[in-house]
Amino acid sequence: MSPALAPADPWQPLPDDQWDASAAAHLLRRAGWSATPSETAHAKADGLARTLDRLFPAAPVLPPVPDQIVRLREATPGFAKKLAAAPEAEKRLLLREARERSQQAVQDLSLRWLQFAVRPENAAYAKWVLCLSDVYVVAAQKVNNTALIWAHFDLIGRHALGPAPELTKAVSRSPAMIEYLDLNQSKRGAPNENFARELFELFLLGEGNYTEKDIKEAARAFTGYRAPLGEFRFALAQHDPGLKTVFSHTGRFDGDAVIDLAYRQKAAGAFLPHELAKFYLTDAALPAAQLDALGDWWRDHGYDLRALAHRFFGSRLFYAPEFRGNFIKSPVQFYLGMLQDLNLDVTPLPRFTLNPLRQMGQMLFNPPNVRGWVGGRNWINSSTLGARRRLVEFVFAPFNEAKLNADEQMELATARANGLGHFVAAPSHFTALAQLDTTAATDRLLSNFLAVPVSPGFRDWVRQFLLPGTKDESQHLRRLRRAAAVLMESPEYQLC
Amino acid sequence: MASHPTTPFLPSTRRKFLQYTGRGLGLLAFSRFAPSFLVGSTLAGAPAPEKDRSILVLIQLAGGNDGLNTIVPFEDADYHRLRPTLGLAKDRVLRLSDTLGLHPACGALHRLFLDGKLSIVQNVGYPNPNRSHFRSTEIWETASPSEEFLATGWIGRFMDNNCAGRPAAPDPVAVHLSNSLPQSFVGEGEHTTFGLSPDNRNYRENEENRRLLQALAHQPGPPGNDSSTFLRHTLLNALVNEQKMQELLSGHRPATTYPENNFAYSLSQVAALVAAGLPTRVYFVPLSGFDTHSNQANQHANLLTTLSDGLAALQRDLESRHLDRQVLTMTFSEFGRRPSENESRGTDHGTAAPLFVVGSSVRGGLHGTPPSLKLAPNQDLAFSMDFRRAYATVLDRWLGCPASGIIAGGFEPISFI
Repeated sequence: MSPALAPADPWQPLPDDQWDASAAAHLLRRAGWSATPSETAHAKADGLARTLDRLFPAAPVLPPVPDQIVRLREATPGFAKKLAAAPEAEKRLLLREARERSQQAVQDLSLRWLQFAVRPENAAYAKWVLCLSDVYVVAAQKVNNTALIWAHFDLIGRHALGPAPELTKAVSRSPAMIEYLDLNQSKRGAPNENFARELFELFLLGEGNYTEKDIKEAARAFTGYRAPLGEFRFALAQHDPGLKTVFSHTGRFDGDAVIDLAYRQKAAGAFLPHELAKFYLTDAALPAAQLDALGDWWRDHGYDLRALAHRFFGSRLFYAPEFRGNFIKSPVQFYLGMLQDLNLDVTPLPRFTLNPLRQMGQMLFNPPNVRGWVGGRNWINSSTLGARRRLVEFVFAPFNEAKLNADEQMELATARANGLGHFVAAPSHFTALAQLDTTAATDRLLSNFLAVPVSPGFRDWVRQFLLPGTKDESQHLRRLRRAAAVLMESPEYQLC
Repeated sequence: MASHPTTPFLPSTRRKFLQYTGRGLGLLAFSRFAPSFLVGSTLAGAPAPEKDRSILVLIQLAGGNDGLNTIVPFEDADYHRLRPTLGLAKDRVLRLSDTLGLHPACGALHRLFLDGKLSIVQNVGYPNPNRSHFRSTEIWETASPSEEFLATGWIGRFMDNNCAGRPAAPDPVAVHLSNSLPQSFVGEGEHTTFGLSPDNRNYRENEENRRLLQALAHQPGPPGNDSSTFLRHTLLNALVNEQKMQELLSGHRPATTYPENNFAYSLSQVAALVAAGLPTRVYFVPLSGFDTHSNQANQHANLLTTLSDGLAALQRDLESRHLDRQVLTMTFSEFGRRPSENESRGTDHGTAAPLFVVGSSVRGGLHGTPPSLKLAPNQDLAFSMDFRRAYATVLDRWLGCPASGIIAGGFEPISFI
């Protein structure tokens, strides 16, 4: 950005004549998981405005409810009764069983979410919800009822492109959040500060934009929020109806009133744009003046999330050269992007899919703490890079299905019956490339997979690697396939 | 270069590297293949490694450990007033003195205390305490004053200082047994650190693929793309160290039985690497779950059992290998918890807490003074020992690196070493 530009200028829409294939690929990689040649061509032909309409549409794009969640939900009231009636010794057993059921359901939910998110038409919406859930964090490990975790994601999905204050209010009523940040323990005379603190620090304003006293008073406003049997209920008798002073305003505030007061703080405008920039754009914080400019614009547009998404992803700043090809992919993006690049389906087996994600540092529905994932360079160290490489090897190596247990074989059979049975990058994936000469095949591999241009030396190493196979068709396919695997393990492929 | 008929090799130790150069392969001739840190340290003539260097194991109790129920002032009526349901009765605690006792889950640590191998530094904190997990963890990891933000961690600055005993690259100066790099390890300069994931497995890949990957990582990245530079450095270091760690850990058998949990497993790997003579100076092992806002009693007891039994197993393992005088283990946590228990039978974020220092070289016993509990409901503890004094002690008297260059403010060492 030229220093002569005013802070608000970078947020002006990208001029039409700058919308080219490279800009389209940049948008697809950052807003979704990858930029395959066909999706890039599609976006380029549509133009930026239509593409944004498609990626961030007016109606929510929601995944279907997983079967295990339906079963958990149905079991919840009955289980509560059974638990209440059980003798003390049996209670522990029942609770342990419930915890195990819930843990299994998290795995199922994670796999279903991946299967939903990997589809190009769902990618941007799923990633946007993931981003918001990285702000409004809950974790299955603490909440221990996966039906509530599901409901939390579902409500974020429903409010994801509407007015932000509505989203925040819905989150404050989310049973998972009520449990995660101990609102269910907070009552008149004994407010629990956990939720109020994170609401200001991590959801809406950021540190330094509130006082300890604001937190203590706000905590009183959120007393009485309950979620028995997984449904929100306001327990009037537990609520503190007295006068509270929050951000220098005094009144008999309830939780919604406190959220409205927080959105009237100057810091509320720039907070989410800052989170978006961190999640989608750059490790280094954008200049405060630029964030404030977008924050002011957003406040003037009624804190509408869809307007913000279109403004952000359509801005001149988003396409600036300093934000191209230098952002480190999250583990989820690395995995889903690789599947898209190879036209593969999610392997619906926790130990081959969710374990690698955990080793790369990202457990879906289980962020490390209430701050969510830090992202950027923090994804990368020697052990997480090793895990990325092992995942590539897995995707390229057929696994022995005979050695799988019966449940796993059934999962694979179900996926195949649904037309989602491509788990391994077979040599046949590279048939089209094998028709090209070595130089052309090299260039195609590089341009299909990498977000950055490579040095002549890099290109030549890949070309040399392909050369020995050119005499024999099946050997050629094998070498193409191995070159693709190594490219995906290379530093360049970790960038988007 | 691109059509070079042979693939580049990557020596995994400095010694091997020097052997290659000694065989007439000029250093500069292949410096474009060798990781830059290897070439750099060889050219600079880095100090030779020593066999008996001191080693620090840092244990992070993530979430904020409840100090008041770890070291219990069982005779204090105020303790029982503040902890009506969570308070531990006199007959349950493990005696440290006439007035203080360890949580009953810390039996193994108690035995170390009686043997003079456990120091307990009491009421540790810092002025103007911050109650945010992230900010307070950052303050502890960067050793900054509460109102100042530092970009580097205290171990990172220890590495920056390049004190005697620093391993020659590519051996890692510091190893973390977690998936993410601790902020403590972040330094100004580039340092070789290594992450040993708790879920590491044996893994081999095709040798030809590996060579191509090395070759690609040696190529220059896009100009001005810092992320790419960072990635290729990390990858090259990882490739070297991966090979080495595999060699060291494969076939290793612990000399003692460890409890079956990830924390203990990580500690057994620390012992294995120390026993293998890896010149690493600092290990970092996290144990999380201490954020006990509700129904604390059982959770806290389980966590302290894991901590206590794990540390004791490590000590036993090191003793049986006669390495116990070489290793010092210190715990830390971002804050203690509020003295008044809350309505949910838990405790909220607080301020000061004790920390543990374990080893055959420590001066065992209680150090500092316990916190005063003459407090109004919901009032916090006033710390009486700055955590940076514990760091200064470790730097000055254990790691042999003057603390003054690493921690601003001149903190007096404590007598635990």
